[in-house]
Amino acid sequence: MADTRGDFSEVWALYLWIGVGVAVVVFVAVGFALVRYRARPGRRPSRVAERNALELGVATLILAIVALLVFRTFHTEAEEDNSSRADAVRIDVDAFQWGWKFTYPGQGVTVVGNSNREPSFAVPAGRPIAFTLTSSDVIHAFWVPGQRFKRAAIPGRVNHFDMEFDDRGREQGLCSEFCGLRHSAMRFGVWVLSDGSYERWLAAHR
Amino acid sequence: MAGSAPVAVDADRGAALERGFAWLAATDHKKTAAKVGIASLFFFGLSGLLALTMRAELAQPGLQFVSDHTYDELFTMHGSGMIYLFLTPAALGLGLYLVPLQIGASEIAAPRLALFGFWIYLAGGLTMYSGFFTNSGAGDDSWTATIPLSNSTGSPGVGMDLWVIGVALAVLGSLLIGICILLTILRLRAPGMTMLRMPVFSWTMLATVFMVVASFPVLVVAMGLLLAERHLGGVFTGSTGSIVYQHLFWFYGHPVVYVMFFPFVGAVGEAVATFSRKRFFGYRALVVSLLFFTALSMAVWGHHMFITGAVRNQYYSLTSQLLAVPAGIEYLDLIATMIGGAIVFRAPMLFALGFILQFLLGGLTGIILASPPLDYHVNGSYFVVAHFHYTLFAGSLFGLLAGLHFWFPKATGAMLRERLAKVSFWVLMVGANLTFFPMFFLGYDGMPRRVPDYEPRLGDLNLLATIGAGVIALGVLLVLINLFVSLRRREPAGNDPWGAQTLEWWTTSPPPRDNFTSLPEITSYAPLLDRLEAAEEERERRGAEVPA
Repeated sequence: MADTRGDFSEVWALYLWIGVGVAVVVFVAVGFALVRYRARPGRRPSRVAERNALELGVATLILAIVALLVFRTFHTEAEEDNSSRADAVRIDVDAFQWGWKFTYPGQGVTVVGNSNREPSFAVPAGRPIAFTLTSSDVIHAFWVPGQRFKRAAIPGRVNHFDMEFDDRGREQGLCSEFCGLRHSAMRFGVWVLSDGSYERWLAAHR
Repeated sequence: MAGSAPVAVDADRGAALERGFAWLAATDHKKTAAKVGIASLFFFGLSGLLALTMRAELAQPGLQFVSDHTYDELFTMHGSGMIYLFLTPAALGLGLYLVPLQIGASEIAAPRLALFGFWIYLAGGLTMYSGFFTNSGAGDDSWTATIPLSNSTGSPGVGMDLWVIGVALAVLGSLLIGICILLTILRLRAPGMTMLRMPVFSWTMLATVFMVVASFPVLVVAMGLLLAERHLGGVFTGSTGSIVYQHLFWFYGHPVVYVMFFPFVGAVGEAVATFSRKRFFGYRALVVSLLFFTALSMAVWGHHMFITGAVRNQYYSLTSQLLAVPAGIEYLDLIATMIGGAIVFRAPMLFALGFILQFLLGGLTGIILASPPLDYHVNGSYFVVAHFHYTLFAGSLFGLLAGLHFWFPKATGAMLRERLAKVSFWVLMVGANLTFFPMFFLGYDGMPRRVPDYEPRLGDLNLLATIGAGVIALGVLLVLINLFVSLRRREPAGNDPWGAQTLEWWTTSPPPRDNFTSLPEITSYAPLLDRLEAAEEERERRGAEVPA
């Protein structure tokens, strides 16, 4: 599975709406307390100071919500951890201060660029892309906000992950791990092309 | 006459100087805590000015005021200053002042160690900031100083060394103060002050110093190793070196988040109970949840490393999301304390409510960050910046201000100006949300942290955040004016201006050197409320016995 954007959206919707729900409950409860129990002449504060059944009930309820969230997270995480399919397009990414090198193994294609000249690489739309990611110097991170996904580029380590780009056009990518002076200009583009255009792009860059 | 005047002035000056030195050397926990408080306020001001400079730069895309390198120094020193030099010491300083008073002790355990801790912390802070006066500039590798960027190749220069030494000293100083608070709680409670009669704030401090003692030494050692790496090399090397450093750093770096949170839950809890005219609800459940929270806090650090591919993400995701349970119990107890009460809206109560409502957004977005598939998008983005500013600024700082407004009369004997306090609350509330709420959207839309420049399409939200920062600055200024005015033209507070519930309100304001001349019977975690209720019952019984 490599549909990072779809995976993100499903999990996000669950977390966001549960979060909004909890926030509404708390805001309403606080608002109710402030209006209903504001000091007025003759109001005597209650002396109830403990309701352990209530505490246990709320703890159990939260635990149940957490169990739901964790279950959903683990399910998606397991899918994203699944390794590449055989037909995946392979791209090796090497990050450095302050640029990127994209290599297509076996294709004789390499794209390099830095903070002065932003590199752009191409992928075929709708096909799984198997990335390897590493760094030549310090820690960077490969982030494509449109795909809702990033991974750290760590010197001496190689991270593997799959992505799938569905909509043709250009995606903006960037480094999201502070890596020194020109960090903010360490960007890259992703051309998401049809199969035919992708082959022509490869041929043009050999 | 004419000849004697200068001598008298000299003598006055001499006496004032002597008093000043005596204050600096005093080991009374209240004076040590005041020194910590003043120093942390000083570093809050400096680090806040750095933030304002950053927001000025970020108001528009492109570089306007500062260079790339200056910006790196700004966010590094802003974050480091706020965490190592302001919120952590301020939280511990609050405990150093209040814990002995709340548990009926006349002194802290190891008062000289606490004073030494203060001086070490101050030295660390000044060392860290002195980097600005070196050629290489101050530390410029963020508050986490990730390897290998922070080694001698990635961040050369003496300014970065000063940063490393400064962090080690400041954290060591905080550790020593934490140890004193722990010993005080374990050894010096008044007769009758059992563990389960300790006030809510003191319990949150106990949980806090457990984390301090368990995690702070790790960072002190990590900074020692980082210094060795920078000058000798060969410490954090190979494919695992950078990962090992992150493990060491975050083993401290996550518990410290709760060190900057628990004490303010306690302060807010005391304020909410007092101004609801009710004792804190669910005391024993809170104690259990605090201990559970503390234990979990030591097992979640890997969630800062989800995108590294080097940790077991599922484990850290599970432990991190479980934090919602004790956090939820704390919220339940705070709200249930208000329900059934007779709520009075004094300034400390307003700040406490600000803490409760705003911290909630920080906490709920924290649950989002605890899910790896969601973290893969928002990690390292302004979403994270928004999240932790909702916890640390809109949360902890509001909690600190609740505590400040609540206990200022106790510590100084003077009331703060109520109306000015309320105005500053509303200004800060508007400023905080105007500044930090847009950052959730900025991060989601693709703006990374730690950049002086960004895509033009993100300009509007950034401008909004910058305007908010200006509003915050105004709010902080109002708080400072209030402190100044209230100390210059004093309105006497008396022992207990709020009708509060715990032992510190039994003694004079400010308390005498040895804190108490007498103690009431300690019957629960709210001994003064017990007396009030007993007196009420007594009156009613008498009333019933004597028909009108």
